[in-house]
Amino acid sequence: MPVKVFALSTCPYCRMARQYMDENAVSYDVVEVDKLDGQERADAIDEVKKLSGGTSFPVIVVDGEVIVGFNKVRIKELLSL
Amino acid sequence: MSAEGAQAGIPPVRRRFREGTTAAELKAYMTPFVAVLGYKFNTDEEFVRLVLEGELEVLAQTGDIYCPCRIRTGDPKEDVRIVCPCIPFHRSQFAGMRKCWCGLFIRADVDDGSELLGVIEEPEGPVEVPVARAGDMRDGEARRVTIGKRDIAVFRVDGEFFALSNVCRHAFAPLSEGFMDGYTVMCPWHGWRYDVRDGTTDHPDSDVKSYPVAVRDGEVFVTV
Repeated sequence: MPVKVFALSTCPYCRMARQYMDENAVSYDVVEVDKLDGQERADAIDEVKKLSGGTSFPVIVVDGEVIVGFNKVRIKELLSL
Repeated sequence: MSAEGAQAGIPPVRRRFREGTTAAELKAYMTPFVAVLGYKFNTDEEFVRLVLEGELEVLAQTGDIYCPCRIRTGDPKEDVRIVCPCIPFHRSQFAGMRKCWCGLFIRADVDDGSELLGVIEEPEGPVEVPVARAGDMRDGEARRVTIGKRDIAVFRVDGEFFALSNVCRHAFAPLSEGFMDGYTVMCPWHGWRYDVRDGTTDHPDSDVKSYPVAVRDGEVFVTV
């Protein structure tokens, strides 16, 4: 199941979410939006806004479903952990 | 990390904190601001340490203490809303969650802040928003409070608190700058009189909205 994480390098919840998925051996692609530059960064912010309606992190996309924040219950549910 | 580091492409802002600012200094700086808003630092000290570390990284990158869980877009109008503490911009949302977005701050009436971490669902329906500490207002005093787009006047009369829409129905003057006489506030511009207990006035169809008020543990809450 494709999992994508939009994260910030400075955000504790992003770290907690990634750690949780690592512990459960979930493989995922991660984009650290604050490490991007120029057009790449603007595009990533646009995508985060489109997906989540805001600019809060993490934004986790599981098979097209969007989770905003480190919502363990939803992550568990969508990844059937 | 330098200001040209991770957030290149967006101009740095004027630095408000000297190089080498510590987490303890940020904490000392923020504590009085959030107390006025009815909040305190989370009781989970390890989590507070993590967030403040994130803020110090953001400070090094950008020149100011933006929320470490949200991103600067480069639009000053959007970005000002995520400078920590961002509580004034999100008062009813945070009051409903009983914490700020990331949980660095919790409402002063919450005992255990660790239970709220990671919770981002906003409860539906009316929300009690802390607006003042009861002891900070004198009898006969009025104070203006903004909650989202709502402009509200809070009054203290004889130890009791009341809240009305701050906007006079006549010419839109701020009632919080009016003159108090017992339970009456007189508009500062043309003298229209309102009863602070229910927002009624003797002008037809011109009552202002009245909001429920509660006082608990010395904190005044307005329900919006």
